[in-house]
Amino acid sequence: MNTLTGDVKPAYELRTVSKTYSLGGGQVHAVRELDLTIDAGDAVAVVGPSGSGKTTLLQLLGGLDRPTVGSVLFEGRDMAAMADGELSLLRRRTIGFVFQQFNLIPTLTAAQNVEVALAPARMKASTRREKVQELLDSAGLGARGEHVPSKLSGGEQQRVAIARALANEPHVLLADEPTGNLDTTTGAEILGLLMSLSRAGRTVIVVTHDSAVAARARHVIRMQDGRLADRSVGAGHVPAAHPVATTG
Amino acid sequence: MFYVTYMLSELRRRLGRTILTALGLGIGVGLVVTVTALSNGLDEAQAKILEPLTGVGTDMSVSRPIEVSAPGSGQGNGPFGQLSDEEREQLREENGGGRFGLRNLGEPGSKFSRDTFVSTAQLSMPEADVSTIADIDGVQATAGGLTLNSLHIEGTVPEQTQQPGEFGPPQAGAGPRNIDASSISVSGVDPRVTELGAVTPGEITSGRYFGAGAGAQAILNESYASRQGLALGDTVKLAGKSFTVTGVAKTPLGGQSSDIYIKLAQLQKLSGRKGRVNTIYVRADSASDVPAVSAEIEQSVGGASVTTASDLAERVSGTLVDAKNLAGKLGSALSIVALLSAFLIATLLTLSSVSKRIRELGTLKALGWSQWLVVRQVTGESLVQGLLGGAVGVLIGLAGAAAIAGLAPSLKATVATANQGLGFFPGPFGQGAVEGTTTSVALGAPVSLTLIVAAVGLAVLGGLLAGAVGSLRAARLRPADALRHID
Repeated sequence: MNTLTGDVKPAYELRTVSKTYSLGGGQVHAVRELDLTIDAGDAVAVVGPSGSGKTTLLQLLGGLDRPTVGSVLFEGRDMAAMADGELSLLRRRTIGFVFQQFNLIPTLTAAQNVEVALAPARMKASTRREKVQELLDSAGLGARGEHVPSKLSGGEQQRVAIARALANEPHVLLADEPTGNLDTTTGAEILGLLMSLSRAGRTVIVVTHDSAVAARARHVIRMQDGRLADRSVGAGHVPAAHPVATTG
Repeated sequence: MFYVTYMLSELRRRLGRTILTALGLGIGVGLVVTVTALSNGLDEAQAKILEPLTGVGTDMSVSRPIEVSAPGSGQGNGPFGQLSDEEREQLREENGGGRFGLRNLGEPGSKFSRDTFVSTAQLSMPEADVSTIADIDGVQATAGGLTLNSLHIEGTVPEQTQQPGEFGPPQAGAGPRNIDASSISVSGVDPRVTELGAVTPGEITSGRYFGAGAGAQAILNESYASRQGLALGDTVKLAGKSFTVTGVAKTPLGGQSSDIYIKLAQLQKLSGRKGRVNTIYVRADSASDVPAVSAEIEQSVGGASVTTASDLAERVSGTLVDAKNLAGKLGSALSIVALLSAFLIATLLTLSSVSKRIRELGTLKALGWSQWLVVRQVTGESLVQGLLGGAVGVLIGLAGAAAIAGLAPSLKATVATANQGLGFFPGPFGQGAVEGTTTSVALGAPVSLTLIVAAVGLAVLGGLLAGAVGSLRAARLRPADALRHID
């Protein structure tokens, strides 16, 4: 395996990963024989046309799905070998998700939506509420905690979703088209927020169609027909600090 | 607390479905409560009717009925032709007083008066059997009783008499027209055992029960006293002996109803049946002993037949029984159908709700909620719906029970007497034609705390069942598929 990583410990190592779905009696090869290493603290944009396997790749990285072939090592542990319960725990403690549709629960307030991520953790209710308020404050929504999603703008909803994703202080943040439902200005703000998280040491992986997002990432992975078509260094790259290594 | 907040907010979001599910469960459970309350009411009504005779389900009565062989067994014609020789002989002996020839009454044209006692359609037993039964394990108390028909015949000896025949009333138009016959039923009661017998102190409506001493006291049946215009202190004659009316009693439905009750020893002496009884009243230690005691009695006393409280219940007829049958069959079927429908509706609505929340449930899984937490959340919501359904069901059930108590007509119950059990056997001088006792009882529909708890439990069960099916669907969701789902 070629490796271009430096001294930084990898967050992910994908070894000959393929993912095949059965659909309508046929087989869909969403990801094919992918080898990929992503270093901890990197900011990676995954780009490519619709159906190229971007979202499937993100789900494999998030432990939401298991590869048909190959292994996905997260911080050295093979996620494919983990039981469902272990994966749940892993997601809760180390991985945050941000979705294009925000995926907030419409009947809960902004604060309660953030609390959803903290609920399974054993902590006092008062401690949990304090933490929720801190997260909302840091997302610039300190005064909007009691509003239900329908009373918030798209940008505010995505900020709530990011606050929720950060609730358990994850090592990795996975975002699927986080600016897809936002106007340009708001999208830029959200992107800025995500990049700042990367600079704070978190690994941020963003699936996007937005060239502006790709431009601000340190590394860009281009997918085509389930394969890694191209890898490049983005505008946010800091030489030799956070390389992305691929083989194949 | 967060989980409860989430549950309630979700139920509020799908308020229509929540109300529909709770209402569906409520109607099903309400129907069960109503039918059960009705059934309880009917049971109570029946118990109320039978209670004076049946005690608390521990009483039995032992008799020795005439056993009738199957038709066509070649024993001759007529009712007696179906009886065995032994049985016929026993009955002949017991009923010998009822057979007489008019030629023996005196010279034609002279007056005559004759009193005699015939047994009802039961053979007698030696009084010693009372002690035998008292010695059986599980027997708390026993009392012997003798019930007979007192026949009084008077008139003028006719010129041409009817051919001396066997038992049976004179043929219409062919018999002597100057002879009057009357029959009254008499029961002999052991006054030493006040809790058991053909009449007990609790059944006295005026006057008093048998007092101490050898005086000739009689207790009259309320309807007989009314019919004959007799009151306390009056005198009634039995076989030429005068008895002072000291009490009037109302015997319960299902009880051995006689016109006159006197002390057992006096009736035995009057009727020439010393040391004989034809009914033994037995009280068991507990209702659970009844089957064993009953079996033991039938083994110990030859030819004995034991009537228990449940036998009596089977002999109850009338609108009470019709209502019980209706509640028991149609009501139960309706309840089961309603309940199953409610469970099905709740399950389908829960499944539908889960289907509409697939992406939400997928998001929870993505955020690290374990399978168990997701299942618990969905089941919890169904549980709350079940509790709501239970509350609605209890209200509907209480309303239904109140409506039954308020609107239901009083029901009539008739218990066939032992004599009617041989209805084809008319007996001499109308014996055996004693009418069954009928009484009315108001119908209630009591709803006990146990029933309320059971109703809520049933609704919760329905909710849990629906939740389990919904949870299974939720648990099977793969997070990746769930997140791809378009709501």
